[in-house]
Amino acid sequence: MKKIRIVSQVLFLLLFFLLFFLATYPFTSNIPVEFFLNLDPLLSISAAIAARNILIISIPAIILLIFTVVLGRFFCGWICPLGVLIDVFDTFTVSKDKKRIYFPWIKFSLLSIVLISAILSIQLTGYLDPISLLTRSVVVFLYPVFILLFEGFIGFFLDLGFLEDFLFNVYDILKGTLLPLSELIFSGFIVISIIFLFIILAGLLERRFWCKNLCPLGGLLALFSLKRLYKRKVSEDCISCGLCEKNCRMNAIEEDFFTTNNAECINCMDCIDVCPVDAISFGFYKSSNISAKKIKNIDFNKRRFLKTAGLSVLTVGFFKAGFSDPVSKSKVVRPPGSLPEDEFLDRCVRCGECIKICSTSGKGLQPAVLEAGLDGMWSPILKPKIGYCEYNCNLCGKVCPTGAIQELELKQRQELSIGTAHFNKTRCIPWYYGENCMVCEEHCPLPDKAIKFVNREVIRIDGEKSEVKLPYVDETLCIGCGICVNTCPVEGERGIYLTNANEQRFYQ
Amino acid sequence: MKRRDFLKNSAALSAAFLVTKNMPGFTKSAGPDLVVAKNAEPEILVRKAVEGMGGMSHFISKGDIVVLKPNISWDRVPEQAATTNPRVVAEVVKMCLESGAKEVKIFDNTLNEARRCYKRSGIEKAASEAGADVKHVYSRKFKRVAIPEGELVKSWEIYEDVIEADKIINMPIAKHHSLCQVSLSMKNYMGFLGGRRGQFHRDFDVKITDLNTFVKADLIILDSYRMLLRNGPSGGSLNDVKLAKTVVCGTDPVAIDSYGASLFGFDHNKIGFINVASERGLGIKDLNKIKIKKVDM
Repeated sequence: MKKIRIVSQVLFLLLFFLLFFLATYPFTSNIPVEFFLNLDPLLSISAAIAARNILIISIPAIILLIFTVVLGRFFCGWICPLGVLIDVFDTFTVSKDKKRIYFPWIKFSLLSIVLISAILSIQLTGYLDPISLLTRSVVVFLYPVFILLFEGFIGFFLDLGFLEDFLFNVYDILKGTLLPLSELIFSGFIVISIIFLFIILAGLLERRFWCKNLCPLGGLLALFSLKRLYKRKVSEDCISCGLCEKNCRMNAIEEDFFTTNNAECINCMDCIDVCPVDAISFGFYKSSNISAKKIKNIDFNKRRFLKTAGLSVLTVGFFKAGFSDPVSKSKVVRPPGSLPEDEFLDRCVRCGECIKICSTSGKGLQPAVLEAGLDGMWSPILKPKIGYCEYNCNLCGKVCPTGAIQELELKQRQELSIGTAHFNKTRCIPWYYGENCMVCEEHCPLPDKAIKFVNREVIRIDGEKSEVKLPYVDETLCIGCGICVNTCPVEGERGIYLTNANEQRFYQ
Repeated sequence: MKRRDFLKNSAALSAAFLVTKNMPGFTKSAGPDLVVAKNAEPEILVRKAVEGMGGMSHFISKGDIVVLKPNISWDRVPEQAATTNPRVVAEVVKMCLESGAKEVKIFDNTLNEARRCYKRSGIEKAASEAGADVKHVYSRKFKRVAIPEGELVKSWEIYEDVIEADKIINMPIAKHHSLCQVSLSMKNYMGFLGGRRGQFHRDFDVKITDLNTFVKADLIILDSYRMLLRNGPSGGSLNDVKLAKTVVCGTDPVAIDSYGASLFGFDHNKIGFINVASERGLGIKDLNKIKIKKVDM
C-alpha cells in the first residue's frame, strides 16, 4: 500500500507541475490548470463566505469533502503536492523517531482565524492555504529560480560551443513553448521564498511539521475525518514493539499502539510496512479495535476557540486598518475583468495563477506587496514598468479559480478600461526637452490611438525655439494597458505613468 | 570556433565587411534600380519583382546563410497591415532555397510579446512551412558592435546572426509612422537591435541613417500588398488599410524608401531620414535619376 501511495503522490506532484507549465500562452483549449485550487475545500469555502456567494464552492471540493468523511485525511497523504514536497525533504529529518515539536491545536486556531476573518470579509486563507501557498511559491520563487538555473546551465554549454546547434534548438523550443522568452522578476520574492523555505526546512526538525501543526486545510480535513469509516486496525498479533508509533509521521498513533487519532491519520500506510508481524491493516471497520482506548481526536477546546475568535477580530482590524494609503492605492491597477475592489479581495485567494500565465504574455501582472494595503498583499496588480497588459489577451480571467477575475471575451476585454495613463511633463522628452519622441503613441494598441499630439512651437530648456509634437492622453479612449509606460525610453522615472483612474471594474 | 574569433577579433572589421559588401551604385548594371510589380497575388508579385531585378540567383549564392528580415513587430493579423505579408515572406523563402541557400533564418526583435507576434502575424507558420528556420530573439545573442560611420550611434547591440549572415534580405511593410511619417526599409533594421531601442526616436533621422551605414541588405523587398495609411506603425483598424497590391524590389535603401513614400503620396524631400541618408551618400532619393521598371499584371 505504501508503494501505491508513493506512486499516487509522485503522479499528483507531476500533475501539479504539468498544469503549472500548461498555464501558458496560447492556452486555447481551456485546460483545467486551476484543478488543485478547485479541489481545495478551504479556498472554496472561505471565498464563498467572504464573498457571501455559495456558488463559489466548487464541485471537486465538495466531492473531496465527501470522500474525506469516508476515507479520512487521505488528501494530505496521497494528493497534496505540498505534502509530497515536504515528504521528499523529510527524508533528511534529523531524528525520525522522536516527537519534539507537536502543537496540533495551532492549525485549528489558524483555521478558525481564516474562517472568522472570512465572515468579517477579510480573505486571509490565501496566505496560509497549502495549495495557494505552493502555487504562489512556485510562481514567484521556484519558477524564476528554475529559469535562472536553466539559462545558466545551457548558457554555459552554449558558450563553450559544446553541441551548440543542438542545444540552441532545444533552448529555442523550450523558450518558445513552456518557458518565458525573457527572464522573470517578481515583487515579493524575498518574503514568499522565506515562508516557503521555512515550511520545507522545518521538516529537518520534525517530519510533516507544517501538516501537523500549522496547515489550516489539514485542520479542516481533520474535522471532516473524525467519524471516518475507513480506519486503521491492529489485530491481536501485535507484539507491542512500538515501531508503528515511532514511525508515524503524523503522531497519529497513541502510546498503546492500538489507538489511532482519526483526525490526524493521513492514511500513509507506513505503519503497515514497518510492522514486523503484519498486525496492522486499513479497512471499513465498525469499531477499529477492542483494545483501543477512547481519545480526544481534536486538540482544540472552547477556551482556545474563544481566544482564537478574539484574536481573529484583532487580526481583521489590523489588516483592515493597515497601510491603506490612498496615494499608493491610486496606482493599484487590477487585471481586466476584476470584480470591484472589496469583492475582488474577498474572492482572490492569492494563488498567483494569473501572474503565471501573464508572465507568458504581457508580463505586467505582479504580486502586490503593500501597494494594495495589508489585506491586498500578493493579490495581482499591473506594474507597467515591468510589463504591460496585452491588448489581445484575456488569459488571466481564464485561469482564476474563484472568479475574482472574470472570464472575458477578447472584444469585451479590449473595450474595458483598467486605468488611465498620464504624462509626467517634467520627464517626457517632447514636454521637457522639446524634442519629438512618440514611442508611447507608436505602441498604443488601440485602433484610434489614445495618445494624440498637438503641434506647438516651444522654447526648449536651452532657450532655443523648436516645433514639436506634444503628446497628450485622450482619457475617453485610454484603457490603461500600460504599454506606453513600459516602453517609454526615458531612463529612471518614466515620462508617463499609470493610475486606476476611469477603471471599469465590472463588465455587464 | 571561427565565429567566436570572428566576433572577438574586430567588430569594426565585420562592419567594414558589411559596408563594402553591397554599396548601392557600385553594382549598377544594365538592369533597373527598382522594380515595381502591381496587381496580382502576393506570391506572383514578389516573384515578378525579384525576376525584374535579375532573379534571386543574382543575389543568393549556393550555400549562403540568408537572414530574412520581415517586420513581425506587432501582435496583429496580416489584414491589419502592421506586419509583413506572410505570403510574400514564404515566397521569398522558397526563392532563396531554390537559388541554393543553405539556410534561411527569420527573426525579429518584436515590440509586443514575441510568441504572440510570430503567431498572429502568420509569418512563423508560413515561413516555417516554406522551409525557413524561424527562431525567437534571445538577449544572450546580442553583441555590442562599433558603428564606425555613426554620427550619434557609435555602437549598439546587434544580433549575432545578422553579423554572421552571408546575405541579408530586408522585407519591410510599407506603413504610416507617427514619428517619421513612413516606416519603410531603413527603419526595418530596428528589429536587429537590442538594448533600449526607444532612444532611437530622439534624433531619429540621424540615428536610423547611422544604423543603415552598418547594416546593408543585399536585396530589399518592400511589401505594400496592404498599406497602413494611418495610425501607424501598430495600426489596428481595417479602415486605415489600403489594398495596394504592390511589391517593390531593389538594392538602394534610399531609392526604395523614396519610392515607398510616393506610394503614400508623400514628398520624399519632406521626409527627414530620406534626406539625411541621401546627403550621407547611402543612396539616391531622386526618383527621376533612377531606372524604375514597372510590371503591371
